[in-house]
Amino acid sequence: MGRGASTNSIPEIEDCRFLLVIGSNTTEAHPVLALRMKKAVRKGAMLVVCDPRKIWLTKIAKRHLQLRPGSDVWLINAMMHVIFAEGLQDDAYIAEHTEGVEMVREIVSRYTPEAAEAVTGVPAEDIRATAREYASERHAAIFYTLGITEHACAVDNIWSLSNLVLATGHLGYESTGLNALRGQNNVQGLNDSGANPAYYPGYQAAEDPEVLRKFSEAWGGVELTETPGYRLDQILSGLYDGRVKALYLVGENPGHTEPNAKHAAEGFEQLEFLVAQDLFLNELTEKYADVVFPASSFAEKDGTFTNTERRINRVRAGVPCPGEARVDRDIVVSFARALGADWPEYPDAESVWNEFADLSPNWNGVRYDRLQETGLQWPCVDRDDPGTRFLHAPRPARPNGRGKLWPVEYQPPIELPDAEYPLTLSTGRTLYHYNSATMTMREAGITDKQEDPFFEISVEDASALGLSEGDWARLVSRRGDLEARARISDRVYPGLVWMALHFAQAKVNWLTHDVGDPLIGTPEYKVSAVRVERASR
Amino acid sequence: MVEFTLDGARVSAPEGELLVHAAARHGTFIPTLCHDEKLDPYGGCRMCLVDLEGAPRPVPACAQRVREGMVVSTNGETGALRRTLTEMLLAEHLSPNPGGRPNELTDLAEELGAQAPFLLPDAAREPYEDRNRLMGYDPGACILCNRCVRYTQEVMQCSALVFEGRGAEARVVPTHGHSWLDTECELCGGCLSVCPTGAIHEQFLGGSPAGHERALRKTKTTCTFCGVGCQIDLNVDPETKRIVKVTSDPSYVSNEGNLCVKGRFAFNFVHHPDRLTRPLVRGDDGKLHPASWDEALSLAAAGMNGVKERHGAQSIGLLASARLTNEENYLLQKLARGVIGTNSIHSCEAT
Ligand code: SF4
Ligand code: SF4
Ligand code: SF4
Ligand code: FES
Repeated sequence: MGRGASTNSIPEIEDCRFLLVIGSNTTEAHPVLALRMKKAVRKGAMLVVCDPRKIWLTKIAKRHLQLRPGSDVWLINAMMHVIFAEGLQDDAYIAEHTEGVEMVREIVSRYTPEAAEAVTGVPAEDIRATAREYASERHAAIFYTLGITEHACAVDNIWSLSNLVLATGHLGYESTGLNALRGQNNVQGLNDSGANPAYYPGYQAAEDPEVLRKFSEAWGGVELTETPGYRLDQILSGLYDGRVKALYLVGENPGHTEPNAKHAAEGFEQLEFLVAQDLFLNELTEKYADVVFPASSFAEKDGTFTNTERRINRVRAGVPCPGEARVDRDIVVSFARALGADWPEYPDAESVWNEFADLSPNWNGVRYDRLQETGLQWPCVDRDDPGTRFLHAPRPARPNGRGKLWPVEYQPPIELPDAEYPLTLSTGRTLYHYNSATMTMREAGITDKQEDPFFEISVEDASALGLSEGDWARLVSRRGDLEARARISDRVYPGLVWMALHFAQAKVNWLTHDVGDPLIGTPEYKVSAVRVERASR
Repeated sequence: MVEFTLDGARVSAPEGELLVHAAARHGTFIPTLCHDEKLDPYGGCRMCLVDLEGAPRPVPACAQRVREGMVVSTNGETGALRRTLTEMLLAEHLSPNPGGRPNELTDLAEELGAQAPFLLPDAAREPYEDRNRLMGYDPGACILCNRCVRYTQEVMQCSALVFEGRGAEARVVPTHGHSWLDTECELCGGCLSVCPTGAIHEQFLGGSPAGHERALRKTKTTCTFCGVGCQIDLNVDPETKRIVKVTSDPSYVSNEGNLCVKGRFAFNFVHHPDRLTRPLVRGDDGKLHPASWDEALSLAAAGMNGVKERHGAQSIGLLASARLTNEENYLLQKLARGVIGTNSIHSCEAT
């Protein structure tokens, strides 16, 4: 449905009557948003959780659809199958506000709940019941997150969910919609502000000559290239084949967060020049950076972050930068000047924001003086616009006013378990840390709660291997191996092991592979094949 | 809307509103202790008692919903009762300021001019020790209002705290006396945030803060850890310019004053000794050495321009970050496109 943003708002969650949470371990990844889900359930809403693991939310869920990792499309298509077979779709909405339903209808007719059961492991009756409940409840909302997007078939997964939403007309009013829960704090804003090869700020297409003309004019007549830029995966592969010779790396650690991380780190050897800007040194920058700029934490700067409900919130400096460290905004401006650019004075964050808002129609009405108390949700086109709590009202926000349904076929995960690597490894986040944990691992009070690397394994698999709780074990994939402690748990089913992303000494991304979704390049963190061995320590 | 009489005046309020909130909107502030807007009406401490015409005894305004035609008086005998209640609580309130958090009980006492008439001989309760380093509980400050336990049940649903014992023995403990670290507690600090007396309080790594929360300077900002974007207050010691604690306010829309362990407690990285404090450049010995900003900037620019001359703008990539502000990411893509001349700007955290 066009923009990768939550259609609805956080406060609306508590008034949903039906919540379908798919691939989101919300209580750990978005803990405070999960409080609204808990509240909705307390107020009588029905919660259905689709997740390979028995995550916390399953405790208060009416039903847990424990699907096999990577089988999401099967599950959703089977729900669609039930909806069409039983006539539960919203015909009026489909006729007035969508296009492409026929193809989808035809494809999902082959996805029967019984066949789905064989692929997903979810009982056909549960699929039927969930489809019926979802289709018949007006205030039904879907929530998904990286669980669904970190697959090689990420785009398919999102399409299949969006088909479901459109076919049942769950769009364009309160407490409904398709809600992508954004992982990191400002991922929404990162994309909104144009840090993306395909888009200029405000999702204005980088290949549109009109857009280039507008930005060129606003930026003092500079010439703007039409050559398409590289996505993350292309930048990293470019390190090997020599397409990319220099990098400016700001607050990132691809040596840790990228799949097949060892391979990525080796790529840095080939770089001719690396400039890094961060709070801390890490193994990569320590080894390869030619210049390191000491940067600022959120507590030291002014600006805005945009949250998962598209709300632009103010960030305000509370403490000074340590030593000679500088706020990132000043560093980028100084660097641009050093590179020879003739940039305007940017005396403060607001002046930068205004330039962005002037150039981006859906942000045009967002100005600092309006952000003091509660922030504003984009789209917000002018000063009189109160912002947008839910999108696609009164009709889907596409040029022809129709939401597009797109037929999606199931693609099996790229790496399936086999005799040598018999277990499926799925990865994710835990509550206590944040990605590569360069920040949170420095919090003594928090590491008390969780420190050694661990992985979750079922009772059955653990006893077959002779592993006891807390034993060290070695996880081996085709790409690497690591050691971690076994946490024996009914959260995973036999055949599945799960590990968090955060541990510096045991990076699970040493094991995962880097084949990404062909369209958006999201790497498949979620499914790889591994074997587990007892470790000697 | 319903109409009712409040201390002789006709007022109106939306049907079903709690009397304590309706009265506050009309400028009549009825003191409360066990009440919290986030929690179900409870009516446990009797502090908010008011007279309701026709009712056999005073009713708690925090649990009474407004009704058409009701006649409420807040300034009769219940006023005196409030003072007595406060004095009784003070008589058991041994540690008024365990963690430097604001204390609603002592604030109220000050307002009413109430003082502890004496200290109850059996007021001292067994101290509570826990090996977690984030939150402490001081039974000597606890007035047994049950807000914390209700928060754990109703909001967080963590079933990590229970109310145990009766009378002088009563106290709040993590389930079955285990450490908070060994329960379902996720260290969100939600129970702490609703505690009116600071009995549950932040413990400070690296020594206690300079004095009371009210002496700290609050800056409202946005949490840096996830896409919920909770609104937080950095509480900064004006002397040392260090963050002492993070709080939040129930009026903040996205999170209503709730936080998780990261937002509330993971701020020490800001002041960590590993932080980079000077620009670094790689020397001929292959190691990084401190440099001036001018030096670092001109070396960085020379390096980038060199690559651009040798291999073209397309050979330069930029990786931005979801930890940066919108403004910073905007400037970075402007630098990529408008200065270097490439569209190759992306991020590791694009989803
Ligand atoms: S800190 Fe949070 S999780 Fe722990 S007991 Fe209190 S409310 Fe529950
Ligand atoms: S610890 Fe605080 S919130 Fe809990 S009962 Fe005691 S005073 Fe009330
Ligand atoms: S406090 Fe927790 S839930 Fe809120 S934004 Fe921060 S990390 Fe996310
Ligand atoms: S505040 Fe009303 S009874 Fe405690």
